[in-house]
Order: sequence, then C-alpha cells, then structure tokens
Amino acid sequence: MLEARAFEPEFLRKLDRLVLGIKRARTVRAGQRALGRIQGLGIEPENFKQYAPGDDLRFLDWNAFARLDELMLRTYRADRQVEVTALVDASASMGLPERDDKLGLALAIGASLAYIGMADNDAVRIGAFSMHRGAMKFDATPFHRRRESYLNFRPFVMSVKAGGETRLGAAVDQLLLQRRPAGTVVVISDFLMNESDVEDALKRLVAARHEVKVVHVMGEQESTASYPSGLFRVRDAESGEVRETVLGPATAPALRRKVEKIVARMREICTTHAITYAQAFGAGNLESIMERELPALGIVR
Amino acid sequence: MGLLNPQNFIYGLSLALLVLIYLRSRSRPTIEVSSLMLFDEAPAPVASVRHVRIDPLFWLEMATLTALTLAIAGLYVMRPPSPGHGRSHALVFDLGAGMSAREGSGTRLDQARREAMEIINQAPVGDEFSVIAYALEAQVRHPQTANLASLRKALGDLVPMAVPARTAALRAALIRARIASEIDLFADRPPATAILADAASAARVNFHLVGSGDSNLAIVSLDPGIPGATRGRAVIRNFSARSHPCELAIDLGNNEEFHQTLMLAPREQVVVPFGPIRTGGVLHARILTPDAIDADNNRYAYAPSDRPAQVLVLSPDAAVRDDIARVLLAVNANFQIETADPAKYLAQANASGPNAKPLELAVMHDCYVPAAGAASTLLIYPPHLVKNLPYAAAIGISVQGTLASADIRSYGMGEAPGIESLTLGATRIVAIPEWMDLIATATGPGHSSIPLAAIGRAAGGPVGVLAFDVRDHLLLAPDHLDALVLTVDLIKQLTAPRDILIVPTGADVSVPATGTARVTQPDASARTVTADKWGHVRIRPLQAGRYTVESGGETTQVFANYYDAAESDLGAKSQAEANAPAQKAAAASNAQSAREAQPLVFILIALALLALTIESALLIGHAGRWGMRHV
Repeated sequence: MLEARAFEPEFLRKLDRLVLGIKRARTVRAGQRALGRIQGLGIEPENFKQYAPGDDLRFLDWNAFARLDELMLRTYRADRQVEVTALVDASASMGLPERDDKLGLALAIGASLAYIGMADNDAVRIGAFSMHRGAMKFDATPFHRRRESYLNFRPFVMSVKAGGETRLGAAVDQLLLQRRPAGTVVVISDFLMNESDVEDALKRLVAARHEVKVVHVMGEQESTASYPSGLFRVRDAESGEVRETVLGPATAPALRRKVEKIVARMREICTTHAITYAQAFGAGNLESIMERELPALGIVR
Repeated sequence: MGLLNPQNFIYGLSLALLVLIYLRSRSRPTIEVSSLMLFDEAPAPVASVRHVRIDPLFWLEMATLTALTLAIAGLYVMRPPSPGHGRSHALVFDLGAGMSAREGSGTRLDQARREAMEIINQAPVGDEFSVIAYALEAQVRHPQTANLASLRKALGDLVPMAVPARTAALRAALIRARIASEIDLFADRPPATAILADAASAARVNFHLVGSGDSNLAIVSLDPGIPGATRGRAVIRNFSARSHPCELAIDLGNNEEFHQTLMLAPREQVVVPFGPIRTGGVLHARILTPDAIDADNNRYAYAPSDRPAQVLVLSPDAAVRDDIARVLLAVNANFQIETADPAKYLAQANASGPNAKPLELAVMHDCYVPAAGAASTLLIYPPHLVKNLPYAAAIGISVQGTLASADIRSYGMGEAPGIESLTLGATRIVAIPEWMDLIATATGPGHSSIPLAAIGRAAGGPVGVLAFDVRDHLLLAPDHLDALVLTVDLIKQLTAPRDILIVPTGADVSVPATGTARVTQPDASARTVTADKWGHVRIRPLQAGRYTVESGGETTQVFANYYDAAESDLGAKSQAEANAPAQKAAAASNAQSAREAQPLVFILIALALLALTIESALLIGHAGRWGMRHV
C-alpha cells in the first residue's frame, strides 16, 4: 500500500526542504472594527505609522512617544493562517487497476502535501470523498498545524478504502457547507467523471475564494492501456455497466488517445479557471512526482 | 417412428447440462476497469450484453447431444423391408385342448393355421419362418427355413392335444422363438401381459387370438360306485353362457348302463347319479350332444369287481390290522379280509394247504412275508431286513434307515387332490427300483427328498410301498386325511386289473412288456416301442381315449381321461372382449407386419460426428483468430 510510504521517515526527510506553494497569505480578522481597518496580530514588527484617531491604542509605541513626543503606531506582520485541504477522491475507480494503486498514490500525495504544509504551520487536513448509495460520504481529519502531529493523519489515511461513485460536485458542496475560511484546496482524483461536473465543482471552489490545485492521478496500466488482448467482458467499477469487447493491438492506442483527451480537457479547465494542474501518473513515480513534478508546477516549492 | 428403448431418453438430461455449461461458459473473462469512459473510442466491435445469443457452437453441441440421445433411445422408423433382406419369423402355436374346439367348418387350430399361411404367403421373398408348438412343453416343429413347402407341411402336421396348455410351456416356446425378429403367437386365449412383454424385449410379438365360441360340455369326474351296492356319480359341467342340452350315456363294457338327456343351465355343474352298476369293469361315460371339445366328452373309470376277493393284512400291531381292514372295506366292500400277526401267519399258511384261495392283495405293515403269494403287494413301513435276509428280487426295494418324522413334500398322482405339507410319524428311508413310479416324496432331518409312496409292476405282480408308519390310528385321524387318501389311492391301483390302466392325459405310463410293444393310439395310429431293461414301455398319452399296448401276447389297455377346467372353459369370447385393446394392438401390429422397424442409430451417429467436425473447424478458426486462451 503506497499510502504507508508517506509516513516513512526516509521519505519525509526528502520533503523537509519543500514548502507549499501558496500565493496569498491571509490574516485573521480580529473582530469587527468600526473603521474597518484591519490590524495584523502577528509578533513580527512590520512598520511604524502616524497615529490616527480610531487606531487601536494598544499598538501605540509608548517608547517612541516618550523619546520623540509623537504618537507612533507600531504595526505587525500578521501570522499566515491558511487552511489547506487535501481532497482525495476515494471512489471505486481509484481502486482500479489494482496493481496501479491509484488510491494509494493519491493518499500518499495528499499526506505528503499535508506534511509540506505543516512546514509553515499552516492548518492542514486530509479529506476523502465518494458517493455511497446515493449519499455523499465526506470524511476529513481535523486540522493539524505542527509537524509533531503529522502522524495523527496516519490512521485516517490507512483506513480509506476505494468504493462508490465519484461525485466531485457533491463533495465540494459538503466542503463549502462547512463555511471554513477560504484556503487552499488540493483536489486529487483520476477525474474519470463527467467533465461538466468537474468543471462546475472546480468553479465553485474558486468562487469561494479557495486557491485550488488539481493533482490528476492515473495508473500506469490505465494510462498506457496495457491490457491483455482477447474477448473480455469489461465492467465499470462504479456504475457496474458491462460491455463485451475485444481487446487487441488496436485497442491500446485508442485507450491512450482517450486518456490524452481527458488530460487535455482537464488542463483546459484548470487553465481557464487559474487552477494549478499537475499530473501524477504511475504509482512508482511517487518520489519523482513529489520532488520534481509538483515543484515544477508550483504546487510546492 | 418410435423408440426401442424409451427409458434411455433419460440421457436427454445431458441437454439440460449443456445449457447449464453454456450459460456458465458465457461468463467470459471479466475485467473490472475504473471507467468504461476509457473504452469509448476502442475500435474493436463492442457487443452489448444479451441474454440469448445465437452461438453456432452451442447449437452444434445441442445437435450432437440430441442425435446421440435419440440413438441411445433407439429411434426407429417403420419402412418396408428392402428387397433381398430376409427377416426371420417364428410361428408359435398353442396346441392345448382348447385349440381343438370346433367352430364353423374347422377347429381353432385350423383357423390359426390359415392365418399363419396368410402371413407366410404375404411375406417378402427371402423371409424365413420357424414353427414352434407348445402345450405341456414347448417343441420346435420346424426350424428356420425359407422353404414354404416344408413350412406348409409342418403347419399341416400340427394336431391339438388333449392336455392343457401350460404357462411354462408358453414361456419356453417364446424363449426358443427369440432368435426371430418377429414372433406370431396363435392361441385361443390371451397370455399374461408379462409373458408377452418379456418376449417383446427381444423380438416383435404379434398375438393372434383365435376362436370365439363358448359352447362346451365336459365330464368333470366319474365315480362308478360299488357294483351292486352303491350308486355311481358323474359330474357334468356346462361352460357355456347359455343353457345347453346334454345327452349322457354310460356304458359298462358293451352294455349301456345309463342314458339320459339333461338340460344344463348356463355354467352349471350337475351331479348325475346312476346305478348301482351290476358288475365291475371299465365304465365309459360319454356326452353324445355335439359340443366344441371332444376330448372332455369321454371319461373312463374302473369299477371293482363284485366278486369276493381275498386280502391278507399282516401287521405286528393289532390296531393297525384293524385300521387297514376298515380302509380296505371302504375301498371295496367285497373284500374278504384276513388279518394276522406275521409271526403266526407262517404256521397258518403252512396249514392252509393247496385248497387255500388265491390272495388278491397282501398288505404288510412293518413286516415282509415272501410266502404270502398274493397277486399284488402293499408294503407299509417296510422293515429293514426280514430275518437277516434282504427283500426278494421281485420286490426290489431296500430300506436304508428310519426317520423319527417326515413331511410330505409332493404328491404326483394326477387324479388325487394335491397334498400340502403334512407331518407324519416314523418313516422308513426306502430306496426304490427304477421301474417303480414315485408317487409322493417327503423331507426329513438330513434328507431333502425321500420316497414316501411308489408303485410299480414287478414280474410277480404290482407292488406298492408306503414308507410311513400307520400306527396310532394314523389312517383314521382326521388331521392326517392325506395319508388316508394316499393309502386308498395305492390300494385302488394295486387291486385294479393288470391289463387296465386309467390315467390322466399327459401322465407318464409304464406298462410291462417283453422286447417290443405295439402301441395303438385312440386315433387308430400305431407305433412300435422298445421295452427298457426293466421290461417296461413308457408312453405318455396326449389324446383322450383308449390306448392298447400289445407285447408278448398280452394286451394292456390304457384309458386316458382329459379334463381341465381352465382349458375346457371356452369363454374366449368374453375374454376377447375383455382384452379388446390387446386385440386391437395385435391387429395394428398385424397391419404393420409388412413393414419393419429400421433403427436410425447409424444415421444419428453420423449426424453427431458431422456436427462435432463442424464445431472443431469453428474452434480451430477461433483459436487462430483470438488465441487458445479464448477457445
């Protein structure tokens, strides 16, 4: 199981030098102010400015007033408080092909991103979603900020099993209903679903001012269409639909073309909505994905 | 078209098995994929799932199994025989007394003969026929032959017998006919279905029921009574469903003793008393009214002579002497009986001198006195040895031991009632010579069969043996009536004249003879028989009436009586009506007799092989296209 790799010390050491590529730092609102000005609540001094009526007297630099006889106000750099959610698709399609261990790859990437996010004390959680019997099952860990609590993710990661249908729109609805502050949402899925559903879900995340990143996971056998040739009954893992088909030499290119079309469409959607898109094809490529692919795409730095 | 072995149709279950296997095999290797979306652009033909799919391999296998099942079940078609292809027929005839019943211008056998001739005439050239007859036993009258002339002669030689047709003989006849492909059975009454079914398992059986009339009278029994003392009785039976007149005449020698015409109600049996007759002799009862069967219209009986006859009874037991004397008087009241203790009799005999009257019968119980000099001897419970001397050569018996008790096992006398198992007292183990006829046997501890009663004609006169002891009033005990019947029967036979025998038809008769004997049958035909080493000729009367055996200047008359209630009952019409389906089946089979069943085994197997060949070709092509894994 590849997800266990995300908790191996040797692997984690390679992630120590990476930080999450988050573009915006947000402050925490410290209550409603009459003037509507926002004061950072960090401890790192940022600047000085002339006092203006209405400023919070708690930030007056009394030493400067005593020395200069001017009311100076010290401002602080606000602490970054970004909530990072690694949203992992746990539908049945993620479990197939079994030897590709797509779900393991997705969970390992999600856990790795959480570990990386903890480098900046960002609040990080991992969620898994799938549709079971018409109801969305959205499970997520509590937010953790410090790397000392990273191992708290392990029980959850190890317990996620593939099953059910992919309904990204329903999962996003669940996420938005929690009314959390806008943060970073990393969607990790094979995106073998309706394109419009994917686009609609991603659009709603962006509209909620989340910084959205997409990691497109796909198995090596799946992406290279390396199936045995012959007469087969092919069953969709999620819908159960069965087709009898003949797999032969001409099948693999067709399947690869279809994968390329899906990738191209996902890339187009992400580009359109300013979403970072990264591919993670092949479970054997986990380390290279984390060390090279994701940094190259700006998901981590 | 039909099936020779319809029970083998159970192999048709293989078709259901094939369907199951097919449905199971339709579950091709299944690959579960993350999404069928990936296969949208697969160029290979994609077949949607269907519940019923026309698979040529399946239909070929179905055809193969169907053909094999039909072949095992014995599918056949009826078709005319191909020219030059000879079939074998067996013509089986019932020669029982019923087949001699007159109907119209001929007998039932004549009718059967005509039907058989019709079959022979209509048969294709090359067909072979055999003629088998049965009554008391089965006999092949003519082996398989295509020579129609000899067949016609063999059919013409068939003569009904005055005996009942036995079921065992019919079975034996059908067993002998099994070598033929078709059996034609001619009888005046339907046989048991099981018998025909057994025969039909090996050959096609066509049953021909002949005869329909039921007008028959029969003399059931004739009791002459005691001359000058008691009346005789004749029992007449009407087997017809209508009233029937019966003119009955009873003759004693050449004199008519009784003549009367009776009217018998439907299926009535009447006892006609007559006499008492004046003297003894052979009594002949005749039914003069014409009816179907002649054989049962005559019956003979022997009336003992009314002259006094001397009988000697010897026994060491006085009670036994008394019992035997009573029995003798019951058999013939004219007997003058002298009883004596064997130990004292010798002195009396010596004292009797030359004026003594000749003894008709000497009955010796638990003793043997050779000097008795009787015309016939009855030994009851013969002793081991007589004064350390063996029995005289004329007697020819030897006693080998004594059993404390024995059970009567069988009783072979034709006219006596059958004896069921009866436990007797002490019984001698007697070895009888071959010229004696065994009448009854018994079983005892360590012995499965010992002679109990026997009779034969020795040079010195008839000799009878009863091996059981009659002490303790055995002959008068109501619980041992069968022992009394056996004793009376032997006494009657021993006191009958030497030159007259009255037997039932079908019985084996042994007549003393010297050298050769000329046997004249009731139909006046004669034949010469050579006597065996014991000086006897054996005949088996199959016709009712008088046989004469002439040998060495002496003539013995054998009167054969026939009566069998089942055979004489010609209610064939009602039976035929009861068995109308059988008749229809026979008629139907007769209509098809010109056609023969041709099994389609070879054609069906060829079809199965063809289907398998085509399937193999398809599979090879399939393997070449998709690989062996998907064949």
